[in-house]
Amino acid sequence: MTNTRHATARDREIVISRTIDGPRELVFAAFTEVRHLSRWWGPDGFTTTTRAFAFREGGVWDFVLHAPDGADYPSWITWREITPPERIALTHGESAQDPDAFESILTFADHGGTTEITMRTVFPTAALRQRAVEEYHAIEGGRQTLDGLAAYIAEQRRLS
Amino acid sequence: MEYNGCMARAATTSDAFNAIAEPQRREILDLLRGGDRPVLDLVGELRIAQPSVSKHLKVLREVRLVQVRAAGRQRIYGLDARGLRPIHEWVGGFEQYWNESFDSLNAYVQALKGGDTR
Repeated sequence: MTNTRHATARDREIVISRTIDGPRELVFAAFTEVRHLSRWWGPDGFTTTTRAFAFREGGVWDFVLHAPDGADYPSWITWREITPPERIALTHGESAQDPDAFESILTFADHGGTTEITMRTVFPTAALRQRAVEEYHAIEGGRQTLDGLAAYIAEQRRLS
Repeated sequence: MEYNGCMARAATTSDAFNAIAEPQRREILDLLRGGDRPVLDLVGELRIAQPSVSKHLKVLREVRLVQVRAAGRQRIYGLDARGLRPIHEWVGGFEQYWNESFDSLNAYVQALKGGDTR
């Protein structure tokens, strides 16, 4: 895991890394077409409907994210930089007019048969990032409780 | 967090997310994980006044995180799985969004490697 951060942006960013079990060209390709993206994008149980898609620098992916509870969330991405198969820089928000849209840089590091993706997201202001972090910590205790609850419920189901 | 709308949610006390944002309510859920308990038992464990415990239990019941049954003159509380699902779907916000997406990506790349989605 590489969590290298630029000190100046630290108060505005979140870094997430993940090793994907597959060669870099293949992992990168999964970001380049709707037929791929629609198969994996979004949290568990979420699906996407694409309204417009153009994978090129300056191009836009305009889509709706559907939550399992039936809620729909408009989503909008524009690619600022595409360097296959190493790097993608994008802006992500609810629409082209979203003042809270934020920038992410995805890098794809080749480790032989596996690929390490690092996503560094910089929020427009420290306040926006801080708000995200505070909410995250506010529910962290809840997450731990719920992980335990989930295990408990699974156990109950197994026994019943 | 209002990231991408995925984090947008109703800000009411009738929502499970707000219910578990309160540490004492999480403590109640934690205690109930060990099994059903009468109110007085919870009051003893939590060391907070019974009216507060009852208030918390009412909130948890309204969002279906706990359920209650009568046993003689006692009211016994236990976990209710129905309220948990929306929380599992949402919890973690930004990081959950990406960790789960990357989980799916990893699975999808395995399918691509196998050639079954080409």
